[in-house]
Formats: sequence, C-alpha cells, structure tokens
Amino acid sequence: MDAILQAFGLVFTWQVLTTVTAAALFGLLVGAVPGLTATMATALLVPLTFFMDPIPAVGAMVTCAAMAIFAGDIPGALLRMPGTPASAAYTNEAYAMTRKGEAETALGACVLFSAIGGLFGTIVLIFAAPALAEFALNFSSQEYFWMAMLGLTCATFIGAASPVKGMVSLLIGLLVATVGLKNASGVPRFTFGSTDLMAGIDFIPAMIGLFAVSEVMRTMAAGAPSWDNVQVRVGNIFRDWGGMLTRYWRQQIRGNVTGTAIGILPGAGADVAAYVSYAVSRRFSRTPEKYGTGHVEGIVEATSSNNASLSSAWVPALVFGIPGDTITAIVIGVLYVKGLNPGPTLFLFNPQTIYAVFLIFILANLLMIPLGWMVIKLARGLLRTPRSILMPIILVFCIVGAFASNNAAYGIVIMLVFGLLGFFMEENDIPIAPCILGIVIGPILEHNFITTMIKSDGSLLTFVNRPIAAVLAVALALIWVSVIYTTFRGRRAGST
Amino acid sequence: MRFSDTMLGTVLLFLGAAIAVYARTLPAVPGQQYGAAAFPTLIGLAMVACALVLFAKGWQQGRVALVTRTEWTRQPGALLAVFVTVLCVIAYIFLARPVGFVPVSFAILLVLFRLLSVSWGKAIFFAVAATLVTDYVFRSLLLVPLPFGVMPRLPW
Repeated sequence: MDAILQAFGLVFTWQVLTTVTAAALFGLLVGAVPGLTATMATALLVPLTFFMDPIPAVGAMVTCAAMAIFAGDIPGALLRMPGTPASAAYTNEAYAMTRKGEAETALGACVLFSAIGGLFGTIVLIFAAPALAEFALNFSSQEYFWMAMLGLTCATFIGAASPVKGMVSLLIGLLVATVGLKNASGVPRFTFGSTDLMAGIDFIPAMIGLFAVSEVMRTMAAGAPSWDNVQVRVGNIFRDWGGMLTRYWRQQIRGNVTGTAIGILPGAGADVAAYVSYAVSRRFSRTPEKYGTGHVEGIVEATSSNNASLSSAWVPALVFGIPGDTITAIVIGVLYVKGLNPGPTLFLFNPQTIYAVFLIFILANLLMIPLGWMVIKLARGLLRTPRSILMPIILVFCIVGAFASNNAAYGIVIMLVFGLLGFFMEENDIPIAPCILGIVIGPILEHNFITTMIKSDGSLLTFVNRPIAAVLAVALALIWVSVIYTTFRGRRAGST
Repeated sequence: MRFSDTMLGTVLLFLGAAIAVYARTLPAVPGQQYGAAAFPTLIGLAMVACALVLFAKGWQQGRVALVTRTEWTRQPGALLAVFVTVLCVIAYIFLARPVGFVPVSFAILLVLFRLLSVSWGKAIFFAVAATLVTDYVFRSLLLVPLPFGVMPRLPW
C-alpha cells in the first residue's frame, strides 16, 4: 500500500504530467501520418528520454505508443491509409464506413474501444503479469511455429473474396520475407549480389508502398477527383457509444482477451493481434457477409485487440526482459539506461516504480479519449483539402518516410517497387493484407520451423508431442476444417 | 491491366518453378534435412499449386482474353498520370543526393500539381510550403538526414 502511495507521488508531478501530455500529442500526430509507425514514434523519442528522469522517460514511451496505435485508425478511416501496421487489418472496413457516411461511428468506436482495450490490457498487466509470463515462457519453437501458422491461417480469412487469391498474396509476402541473410543458416537468399538486399526487405517502406503509394497512383490515374460520396464532416464521435457497448460487448471482451494473449507472447505485437481478432470476429459473426462493406463489428474487436496487446506486451518485457513486440524491444533498452533493469527483482526492490508505470498506463488510456477526440476534429481538415493538393504532398511524405526508415535511398526503391506491386494486386482483386502478414510472420514461422527441426533431428512428430503445441495444432486443424467445410457448403449452395 | 485466371496462373507457374529451382542452389546445412532451401522450395511449390487451381478456374470460365485493359486506362491522361508519378519517384531516387531534397521535392510537387490541373499560383504556393514544412519537420524535428545537394542549409 505504501508503495502505491509513493507511486502516486511519483506520477502526479508537473514534470511527469507535462511530459506525458506532450508525448501523447507527439504519438497522435506521428500515428496519424500514414507510413509513420508507432514503433518509429517510440524510437524517435529515445534520444529525448536521455534527458529525463526514469518515470517520465518510461511514461512518455508508454503514452506515445498507445496514442500512435490509436491514431493509426484515423487516416485508415478517412483516407484508407493505415497510420500504423496495427490498423491495416480493418482499414478497408473503416474506410467503407466513411464512404457510407458513418465516419463518426467508425472513429468513435476506435477511440472508445482502443481506450477500453488498453485499460483491459493494463489490468491484466497489473494483476496477472508474473503468472501469465511464466506460461508464455513454457513456449518453445514448436509453439511459436503453431502460433505463426495460426496467424497466417487467419490471414487468408481477411477480406479474401477468393481464397486462392488470398493464398497468392500470402505467398508473395512469404517470398519477400525470405530475401536476405536473416535465416537460421545465414545463407544469402534472393540477393542477386546486392548488398542492400542482404539485410532483407525493410517492412516500413514496403508497407508505405503497398498501402500509400499504390493509392496515390490510383488517385492520380483518376485525376484526383474531389471526395465524392465521402462525408466531409466527422460528426459527434460520442454518438451511439452506449449502443455499441451493449451490442458488441461479446466482441469487445473477445478482442480484449485475444489482444492481451497475443501481446503477452514474445514477438507477436499489435498488428498480429488486430489481424487475428478481425478474422476471429468475422468467423464468429452472425452477419459475416457485412464484413468489408463498412460494418463496425470487426472494427470494435480489432481495435480493442491492438491496444490491449500493446499494454500486455509489457508483461514479458517487465517481468523477464523479453520484448513482447518491437515497441517494448526499444523500451527495454531505455529501462536499462535508466537503471530499471527488467526482471523479477524490479518488482521486489522497486515496486513503487512499477506501480508508477502502471498508473501512467491507466492515465494514458484515459487521456486517449479527450486527446483522440481533439485530433479527430483536426483531422477533418485533411478531408477538406482537395485531393489534387493532398495526393502530391502525401507522395513526398511517403518518399521521406521510406527514406527515414533506414536513411538510405534503398528504402525509396523498395517503396516504389511495392507501390507498383500493390497497384497491380489491387487491379487483379488480390488482397494486400495477407501479403503484409506474410512479410511479418514469415521469418517467425521459418525460424521456429528450422529451429525445431534442428532440435528434433528432422522428426516432424516433435511438433505435436508437447501439450501446448498439441493444443495449438488441434485448434489450427479445427479452423482449417471449418474453413474447408464452409467453402464446400457455400459452393454446393451456390451450385444448386 | 487485368490478368485473366489463366494468365495469372501462367505467371505464378513460372515464378514458382523459378523459385523452387533457385532454392535448389542454396547450400544445405551439413547433417540437417531442412536448411535455407526448405522454405523457398515450399513457397515455390505452393505457388505452382495455386497456379494449377487458377488454371482449373480459367478452364471453367472458357475463353477470356489473357490480359484486359481496366476501365480507368481508357480515360484520357490516366496512364500518363501513373507514368509521371512513377517517374517522379525515380527522379527523386537519382537526383535527391546531387541536387538536394528541397529543389527536387519542389519540382516533383509542382509537376504533380500541374498534372492535376491545380492553378499555377496555388501550385507554387503549396509546393513551396509543403517542401519547407517537410524539411523542417523531418530534418530539424525528427533528425532525418535529408540530402542537402546544392542547397545551403535552411535557417532552422
């Protein structure tokens, strides 16, 4: 109890509160610019935290990341360009809502359920942290392999009108992920003698290309007509909050739980959580046919999920020093610099610091609602600007963003190639999301497959002879069976 | 440009086969069954499998043109706009280092604004403003080393 009071004393100082608010605004602005990710926002904060005390330093990163993940939804809904990869899963859905004139419902759901999801993840972080992290520590390469398979399986559900084309997209993503030296045996693959390709294909420029540049090209081709059929005003985002809370409480809780569970797993972050939750929501929905046409149900579940995972990713980070995602990987570095070495001893010797971090988590998620509302109001300006002015400027932003990911022109080359690829894929109704997921999960899948094979000397049985792995394998098999069953039934229903 | 299922299948068939053949050249890890080649081989084979499914679909559809021009390409200026956009990015890649971010960004913006028939006055104003704001935010606030080229450093 004493420690909790001390924690309040640590957090409620002017220095901490100002820092947290400033970091929140920074996170919102960076997250709202397409192509600038939450990870990038956090990384950009690192040099600034060197000048701060431990609590404001960690608090700034917590707040910035949470805001950036939420703010990624704003350009996703208004411009069909996800601000961060974590919003990519439901960008099409949110944009479809905007086209239907329901932007305020979409964005309202994003703010509300992001905040609730974040709070849920925080509560889990506070109460269940040690036990849950211990469970995840039982995971070995087999379990990670199945988790990755689960993610990829879900990828084929997302927006795939045609499963074959979803599969093609996934394979393109997996192929992209194999480029470079980063494989278990360290062999350069598909590098064709280029030194740049040795490091692999950078995810951020690829995403800017696939999502933003292809969109700029499409708009340029159409002569950048003004936003027809798109409502320019984002009305009262608080409208229908009560209705959504009562109608979608199941989806919301499922999203919170899924997001928290995925966040706790080392290596799987907010983007995977959003993809999985969106797919799960669609699978279990009573009206799956509405998905992709501007239906808020999937958004509720996925946006709860990505913010919940962001908080729970801190569980393994704080308790064991293992990053839950890219953001916590950066944060762990800062914790060491600040003398807050992550590990069980942190809870023993410095409980007030941990409680202070938890308090900031709660504060950040509460701040999200007023600040998020403010930024959404400002974002309306984006849509008032004619597209003929906006699109060329976005192209320059894309170029600079792609360059900034590595400070090299190579990033812009990747961006352009993926822009053309995305343009071509869209022309042929090949969904883009599975490709993105393939790029992210491909290396995890391959690494764990090869590691398991090396451990077991090539015996495939080892994938199912551990209890958790067996459960995951069965779950995956059930999903596949249900997919095949529904496809088959759908085809029979279609033919008769 | 829209590929028919048969055409898409053909492209995938060749790509998948090429990947699988290339993967054969990757060195194996001594004493291990699965090495660097395992995954690319699987991806190649899966692509071939997808190609076969697409062939089957194409066969069901009957005779369709292999490549069709999508509706938007028939609009005057649409193809030109896409080409110019791509050329602008290529120009940035080659010119940014010798010439500098500010002039190249200004030129790209001006070209694209004019292409979308923004009036000269507005085009120049927004090209200058957007370039300077981007330069300030990225170079000065986010510390991204945008190339200077022939430009002197701006006073921020």
